[in-house]
Amino acid sequence: MDEDYEVEFVERGDRKALFLVRGVTPAFANGIRRTMIADVPTLAIDEVRVIENSSVMFDEQIALRLGLVPLTTPPAEFDEDDVVTLSIDVAGPATAYSGDLVSADDMVQPADQNVPIIELKDGQRLELEADAVLETGKAHAKHQGGVSVGYRHLQRVEVVGDADEFEESEPNIVRGVVEIDGELVDTAEFDNDLTQKFPGKEVAVHDVEKAFVFHVETDGSMTVEELVNRATDSIESRALELEDAVSL
Amino acid sequence: MSYKCSRCKRDVTLDEYGGVRCPYCGHRVLLKERSTDIKEVDVR
Repeated sequence: MDEDYEVEFVERGDRKALFLVRGVTPAFANGIRRTMIADVPTLAIDEVRVIENSSVMFDEQIALRLGLVPLTTPPAEFDEDDVVTLSIDVAGPATAYSGDLVSADDMVQPADQNVPIIELKDGQRLELEADAVLETGKAHAKHQGGVSVGYRHLQRVEVVGDADEFEESEPNIVRGVVEIDGELVDTAEFDNDLTQKFPGKEVAVHDVEKAFVFHVETDGSMTVEELVNRATDSIESRALELEDAVSL
Repeated sequence: MSYKCSRCKRDVTLDEYGGVRCPYCGHRVLLKERSTDIKEVDVR
């Protein structure tokens, strides 16, 4: 990574972002993708103490659902062995939602308030205590901070001439963001079909070397920005570890 | 060991000699109540 690289945001939100990175190798792009999925630790419920469960579901099924509720994980606040306790107490007739979880730590809250856990009928009650722990996506998918993380080669579209007069026109589908005359264009603008953008023209589509369009979505445990930063920090620390290990 | 009669819904305690029968209504179907112990479940 000795040469310059640049980053350009196409779409930038807290939970979802689309950005173009130029000047990185495919190996590096894939490395970041994998790290965002598997190596950034997030909090998730890992143990449940059931005080009362008169609902129609087994304790284990409810525990599994609770485990999959994304919890906000502030960066650099928690260590691997930390435990955050949450509790829930809902009496029917009502639906128990993730928003009913009461956390012992203000920084750790359900990322979404409206995840249904179970519908309780009259006389049914759910009361339990849960421990959330910090782990990586490698250990269990519930700890994945990055969901729907991927990248595409940036494609450059050039008009090379007119299409043959009597040629049957077939849709020429491209996805995501493409480069046309040096400008980034969202393919949704022309229904992902290049024949709509350039009717009657012959176009050539090429991959741009070392340019990747990333789309990153998080489960809400952290922002996209934090996720990418922590993913690259994780790569860096492991690279340094390797460097230390091989140097004498 | 506590049970609940499925017909009259009253709590029933069984002894060694009474057999399986509700002492209040004579119904022979008893439901075992869930224990009040706290149950620990690993989330997997």
